[in-house]
Parts: sequence; C-alpha cells; structure tokens
Amino acid sequence: MSTITAEARLAARAVSRAHSSVRLRRYLNTAGTLVLSLVLIVWTIAPIYNMVLISLEPEGDVFTDHIWPRVPSVESFWGVLTQGHWYLEHFWRQFANSLYIGAMVTFFALLFGSLTSFAIGRMRLRHGWLVSNAALLTYVIPASFLAIPFYRIMQNYGLGNNPWSVISALVAFATPYAIFVFQEYGRSIPIEVDESARIDGASPPQIYLRIYLPLMAPALVAVGTYALLLAWNEYLYQFLLLSSKSSMTVPVALAQFLSSDQSPWNYMMATAIIYALPPVAIYYAFRRRMTAGLTVGGVKG
Amino acid sequence: MAYLSRRSVLRGSVALGASRVLAFPHVAKAAATTASMWFAQGFVQDEDVSLRKAVADYEKASGNKIELSIIPFAPERQKIISAITSGVVPDIIDSNPTEILQIYAWQDRWIDVSDVVETQKAQFSETALQAAQAYNNVTKKSSFYGVPLRAAVVPCHIWRPLVEKAGFKIEDIPKTWDAYFDFFKKVQDNLRKQGERKVYGLGFQVTANGVDPYNLFMAFLIAHGGQDVVTKDGKLHLDDPKVKRAAIKAAAYLGGAYRDGYVPPSAINWNDADDNNAFHAKLMVMDVDGTLSTEVAVKEKHPEWYFKDMVTHGIGYPNDNAGKPVPSIVGFTNGLIPKGAKNVTVAKEFLKYFIQPKVVGEFVELGLGRWLPVMPSLAKSPFWQDPKDPHLRGYVQQGLLGPTIPDYYVYNLAMAEVRSQHVWSMPMIEVAREGIKPEVAVEKAFKRIEEIFAKYKKA
Amino acid sequence: MDSASVADVARPAIRWRTLSRSLRGGLKGGEYAWAVAFVVPYVAVFLAFVAYPVVYGLWMGSEASLYRELFADPIYQSTVVNTVLYLALGVNVKMFLALLLSGFFMRPGWWMKALLLIFVLPWAVPQISTFISIHWMLNGEWGFLNNVLYTLFHVEGPHWLNDRWMALGAVIVSHIWKWTPFWTLILLAGRMAIPLEIRDTAKVDGATGVRGFVYITVPLLANLYLICTLLSTIFLLGDFNAVNFVSGGGPANTTHVLATLGIRNAFEIAQPRLGVAAVMSALPLVIPLVIVLMRKLRTAEVQL
Repeated sequence: MSTITAEARLAARAVSRAHSSVRLRRYLNTAGTLVLSLVLIVWTIAPIYNMVLISLEPEGDVFTDHIWPRVPSVESFWGVLTQGHWYLEHFWRQFANSLYIGAMVTFFALLFGSLTSFAIGRMRLRHGWLVSNAALLTYVIPASFLAIPFYRIMQNYGLGNNPWSVISALVAFATPYAIFVFQEYGRSIPIEVDESARIDGASPPQIYLRIYLPLMAPALVAVGTYALLLAWNEYLYQFLLLSSKSSMTVPVALAQFLSSDQSPWNYMMATAIIYALPPVAIYYAFRRRMTAGLTVGGVKG
Repeated sequence: MAYLSRRSVLRGSVALGASRVLAFPHVAKAAATTASMWFAQGFVQDEDVSLRKAVADYEKASGNKIELSIIPFAPERQKIISAITSGVVPDIIDSNPTEILQIYAWQDRWIDVSDVVETQKAQFSETALQAAQAYNNVTKKSSFYGVPLRAAVVPCHIWRPLVEKAGFKIEDIPKTWDAYFDFFKKVQDNLRKQGERKVYGLGFQVTANGVDPYNLFMAFLIAHGGQDVVTKDGKLHLDDPKVKRAAIKAAAYLGGAYRDGYVPPSAINWNDADDNNAFHAKLMVMDVDGTLSTEVAVKEKHPEWYFKDMVTHGIGYPNDNAGKPVPSIVGFTNGLIPKGAKNVTVAKEFLKYFIQPKVVGEFVELGLGRWLPVMPSLAKSPFWQDPKDPHLRGYVQQGLLGPTIPDYYVYNLAMAEVRSQHVWSMPMIEVAREGIKPEVAVEKAFKRIEEIFAKYKKA
Repeated sequence: MDSASVADVARPAIRWRTLSRSLRGGLKGGEYAWAVAFVVPYVAVFLAFVAYPVVYGLWMGSEASLYRELFADPIYQSTVVNTVLYLALGVNVKMFLALLLSGFFMRPGWWMKALLLIFVLPWAVPQISTFISIHWMLNGEWGFLNNVLYTLFHVEGPHWLNDRWMALGAVIVSHIWKWTPFWTLILLAGRMAIPLEIRDTAKVDGATGVRGFVYITVPLLANLYLICTLLSTIFLLGDFNAVNFVSGGGPANTTHVLATLGIRNAFEIAQPRLGVAAVMSALPLVIPLVIVLMRKLRTAEVQL
C-alpha cells in the first residue's frame, strides 16, 4: 500500500515539477513579450512624441532641454488652423491640394490597376505579361532620377504648376504595384466565376463591375490605402512640379520653413501633426480590410 | 508659363491714397499685355509686401499686368534651374542665387538689358554696375545682363547682454581683425567661468551648406590680404604668396576656433537657417552673417532685441591687422530676362520702372532695410540715416558708402562653381574636425579650384 | 469532293483562325476589343509618364564626359560607399526584423492587436513629418534624445549628426524605423497564408519555436522574403527623403547617397546632366536586381 502511495507521490511531484516548469516558461514568455512590447512602443513612439512635445512648446521655449512640456500651449496649433503665421497663410489651400492629389492618385491607381489586371489576368489577354513586366520596369529607375526629365515633359504637356502633373507621376508609380497585388489576389478567385458569367451573356464591363470588383474589394482597399499613403508621403515631385503658394502641398510648404531665417519649430511640428492626421485616420479605419486584402490568397510566396 | 491676355489700355490718373504712384514715361502705347515674374520670398513678410506694392504700382501706371509668383527662397533656385534647362521660362526672374547671372550669361541664356541699365546708369554704384555685367561665351563679349535691384553685405552681429555679462562693454571691442575675434573668445571664457555651459563666443558657420560659409571665408581671406585671389581681368592668382598666406591664415583661424571649442559644435551641419536660429537662441555671442535678417526677423516680436540688445558692426567692422579698412564683398540681386521669355517688352518696361530711384528705394525701405539700395544717393535718405535705428546706418555704410568690391564670380564665373561646391568650406572643416594642417588643407582646395577654373577658359 | 480537296480549301481558313486566335489569346472579337480598351489607359500612362521620361533621362545622361567629371568629384566616392552601406544595412536589418516581428505578431490576444496598431504608426505618418522630427531629436544642443540622456542618465549625448558615420547610422535607423512596420505586415500576411493544416501539423510534430521557424516557416516564406528584399532594395536606391531630411547630406556632404547627390548636382551646383549621371551610375547595380526580381515573380506565378 505504502509503495503505491510512494510511487503516486513521486509521480505527483514529477507532474507538479513539469507544471511549474511550464508555468516558468509561461512567465518568461509573458515577461519577454512585455519587454519586447515596451521596447517596440518606446521605439515607435519616440519621434512622434517629440513632434507633439515641440508643437506644444510656446515659441521661445523650443530651444530648451526639458523632455516634458513644462507650460504646454496650443498656440502653434491655433496658428496653423487660423493661418496665423505668415508662412502658413495658405495652409488650408495647401491642405486641400494634398487631399485632392491623394484622392485622385488613389482613384486612378485603382481604376487603371484593376482594369489592367482584369484584362491580363482574367481575360487572359495574350502578351499581357508584357504589360505587367513593363510595369515593373517603372521601379527600375529610381523616382528621383526621373525628376528632371519629368519637369521638362510636364511643361511640354502644358501641365506646369498643375496638380495633374504630380497626379500623373504618382499614378505611374503606384499602378504597377496595384497590378501586381491584384494579379496575386485574383488568383484566389476561380476563373469559373467569370466563365459562367460570360456564358450567361455578360459582357466584359459587366463582369468587371458586377463580379470582379466586388470580389476584389479587400485588395482594392489595401491598394487604395497604399496609393493614398504614397501620395501623402511623397515630397520630391510635389516640390519640383508645384511652384506657387496656392498650388503647393503641405510637405512643400513645410519644407520651406526649413530654409527660412527663423524656423519656428513649434509651428512646423504642429503643421506636421495636422498633416499626419488624415492618413493615420484612414489607415486605422481600413486596417482590417487591408490585412484581409493582403492575406487571403494574396501575397503568397 | 506666360500667356497673353488682351485688355484695353488704361490711361489717365493713378489712384490716390496708399501708393506714391509716379508718372511713367515709358509706357508703351500698344495694347496692354501680361508678363510673368518669379521672385524669391523674403525672410520677413514686409519684403513681399513691398515687392507686391511696386508691382501693383507699375500695373496701375502702365496698364500692363505682371503675374508675380513669390516662391520660397530655396525652392525658387531649383525652379529656376529647371526652367532654364527646360527652356520654359518666365519673363523676369531675380538672380537667385546671385551668380546665375554670370553662369548663364556665359551660355547666352539672358537677354541683354544694357538699354534698361542705361536709363539710370549714373545713379548706380560702381560696384553694382560691375556686378550686373557678365561675359557671354557665345557672343564673345561682356555686356549688361542684369538690372541691379538690391544689395547685401556681411556685417558682424553681436549680443550686447552676453558681452556685458562677461564683464566687458561693446566699446571695449578691438578694431583690428584678429584682436576683434579673439575678444569673443575671452567673452566665452568669462561666461564659462560663470557657469554658462551653452554659450559660444564665435558663431562661425564652419559648414558646407548654404552661402554663409563662403561669405565667412571670403571675409577672412580679404582681411588677411588675399583680396587679389581673382583680379578684374578674370585671372586666378592662387600662386600669389599673399593669397596663399591669407587662405592659410583664414583656414587656421576659422578651423582652429572650432577645434578649440569657441564655435558651437553643431555648426558643422548648419544650413542658412540654423545659424540664425542659433543666434536668436543666444547660443553664440557673435556671428558673421549676410544682411540684417537676424535683426529684422525679431523687430516685431522682440523690439528690445532690435533696439538695444543686438549690435551690428557695419560701422565698427574691423580693420585688418595693420589698421587699414577692409573692403566688403557686396552681393547683388539683379532682375534678369531669360532668353525664350514671351514678353520681353513688358519685362524691360517693368524693370525700367522698377529701378527709378524712388521706386527701388522704397522697395528696400519697406522691406525693413534687410536689403541695401544700389544707388548711393538713396543711402542719404532719412530712413537709412535715422539716428534712432542702431543698425541701418552701419549697414548702409559698410555696403554702399564704404569700400566695396563685387563678388569674385563677377570677374570669373568659375568662382561661382567653386562657391556652390563649397570648396572653400573644406579647409575650414578639415582643420576644425580632423586637425589637418591648414597648409595641407588649403593646398587640396587650391587644386580643386584650379580644376574648376580650367573648365571655364575663355575660348 | 474528296476529303483532300476539302482539306485543301479549309486549310488556309483554319490557319487564319488559329493565327488570329494565337494573337488574341483565345478571345473573340468583341471581347478582345474590351480587353485592349481596359489595358490602354495604363499603357498610355506608362508611355507618357515612364517611358518618355526614361528615354529623355537616358539621353540627358548619355555623355561620357559627364561620367569622367562625376568620378572626379571627391564627393562621389564617399556617396557610393554610403549608398552601398545604406542598402546593405537598411534592407537586410529591416527585413530580418520584419521577419521576426511578423512571427511575434502572430500571437493571439487583444494586446497583440493593440500593439500592432501602435507599431504601424511610423508607416502611416508621412515621412516629412517624422524625419524632420528625428532630425530635430538628434540635434546636439536641444534635441530630445540628448535631453532624455541628460535628464534620466546624466550623460551628455554627442552631436549625433556631426559625424559622418553617426549621421549615416541615423539615416539608416530612420529608414528602418519607418519601413519595418510595412514589411512586417506583408510578411505577416504571408505567414497567415500558410495553410492552417501545415501549422497545426507542425505543432503536433513538436516543430515549434526555433525549430518550427527554421524548418517550416522559413522555407515557406523564402520566396516572399526574397521578393520583398529585392523590391525593398530597388525602392531604397531611389530613396531621397531619409537622407535629405534627417542628415541633409551633411556634415560637409559626407552622407549623400546617389539619389540625393543627383538632386544636389542638378540643383545646387546647377548641372542637371551631372545629376542625371549620378543616378544613372547606379544602373549597373539595379538592372541585375530587377531581372532577378522579375524572374522570381514569374516562377511565383508558375508555382501556383
């Protein structure tokens, strides 16, 4: 009787030791996760915190050494929103320009990208691979290399100082990526769907509108967000192609602060923060559909 | 970028009130047309206001229209280069940077404006007239390609409170070159003893960004006897022992000051804005910086700085070590008409209007005096001679009435490329950071300068 | 009519049909027109805004003397070194971090989701805003980083952007900061695409943790990882903003990369063709990369 109890006790102790080692591993796991999370948060937030910190400083205090806003003041935000500082006198116009360009780039990248990938991938246009490969060639030449030829060409097309010059450039850069993602994503949609629609008598535009686009919705959202962020993020072309204060976009206006004789950093950071709000908002609104678009049958190896 | 629009010519009396509009003898009797103009944005709002006013006055007087684009300073440079390269140009541009006058005149890209300059030739200063000419390598002769509008010179700027905190008075500052700058080293030493960790005596722009380092180095080069580095005939004189000695002394002093800790360490990365920001933040006691932008920028928000605490040495600019006055380099903003402009007639007409002494004088005065006039007669105006203003008299003395010379790229445009490539910055920086001997650093720079000059041999 | 003559008559007709079908890829008349119409907009954009500028740019950069002058510029050599370092470190460190983090973010739980939300911020916030902020953070006198070091640790931080290598490092770190989230998301999506059965079987077989990573995840993600690396390299080659806003090319033009050198040549020293030459000199590196990339993408198609 006692031997059984002894064995049972040994077994119980072994089990509890196993449990505690599992528990230890779980603790370490959680601790590790926590540490890593903290590191990631600090790493991610630091420059953004700095932006906020500086924007809350009253004007004279920008050149000081505290890491916490001592006397937080929203005068810089107020200055931006009311176009109070004279470098900001066209801020709302420039913000509208940025929105306009972003919206147009997104729309046309999605439109052209989906049409092209539909024709190549679904309708199996022969030699369509030529187009998609040529599209990728867009990325061979770095964008900054094309800047000077672009200026000249836009003049030739009569688009000097016109937002459409920037829109065309950015659509040209965003669409290949769109085509690529749409091709990949489209593989998960069986071609039989198209075939049956065709047999039912649907014409290609109808298949495109009624079947293709709805099924591609997640990919459209993903690519649309990408295109918008591309346009919003872009600086060089906007800077070169838009020359007047009323046609400029916010990044160009922001950069002009840097070459002034007196960079009011708090205004700059406030402008930068306000400029950052739309893309962040859009990303967070669409993030679930974005990841869906990239996941389902999407970017496979 | 210019397009024509027809309007009926307005003739008759000009509007009363806000503007001192002048009778305009040059108005063309033809139908009114539009010209496009690009101009760099000022560093204070008043500059842009004064430009717009001049343009508006012209439009009223002549009935023509000027499409004025005021473009931020640095982007405008890039736009000008793009425009000239692509051939699609506005009708009038300002010379930003100033040396594009010479650079593109070489390539025959400007319209000859001798007829415009002729209308006020007697009024312009000698230096202004020199700087408005350039050599055209296509026609093989020099001519007037620019119309002088305003000028700038490089005074010294000092914080009086910091000097006084160190136990000195502004009047104590020596009047000869080396002693002048050594004084500020003593100021820093005293301030450090009082526990001021974050103040530096000398705000030398020991950097390779922007125009400030070139201005700084040239000031030192000239003061030490290297004035003849390029002579009026365009010849380079790097083999002149005086020039070499001066360059070595300049590099040694400027780089040495950095090395010895008298210059803010971040100076090595400064661009044109950073040094002004640093000055306003009282990071340094003095700096050598072009125009009165440092003072004018704070005139509105901190009048006590403008009227009491900041001192500019235009009058008081140090002499050389032997006590003789040091000539100052004056930079000029010229109005230029690119070849390919669509409306040369109106462009010329506007420029003729603009350089009438009253108009161009008002232009710089309304801009708070950040820029200098280009006609000595204008320096005598009550604005510039105002006894209550501590900066303007000295500024106009240094830049207009005292000994001045044009910048060296006026004599030989190769110097413009030397400037834009920051070749003169390198000896300063190498001595400052790497402790390289000034002689070696200067030798290297000289070699590069000779390479660049070789590219521009007059055919 | 014997069969031979029928065949003779029919043959040309058949040949014409097969020829036209081979041209149109099996699409009948009306549909073919639609397909072409759908492709035309992008092709027009491509020709007008990619092909033409490229050709014009190639023409601008086609003088041999330009390259002689370019190589003689003392800044050029350091620029090439910088570019290579920027590419090598920027791409690889970033992609490796993305790979590891994508595994980290696979964990379940609301905390992971919240963390991911925060983690993506650098990508969502425009780079002009963040890079200017980083530039100011690194300022030796008043920057946030040195303030933190002094306030928390009483350490006087160095002037980060005063030294070539630190400035270059700052640029690389800024780039990694900005783009790791994006590639993490892509790799995360790739991981999620690994069929659930494989992941479950692996777990049952005991291939979890490091072993799971090495034997299951890596082989399955390898192709995607490689494609992403190539894409990222190509994008990075043309990256202008990080260097421009974080270090400004300084100190003393020592942290330029080919993209910023191109712009500096074109606009600051007013020699656009030299600027084009600067960027073109990167082509010998780029073209092989793109060829490999295109081939990889094609095999990806075939695999599926």
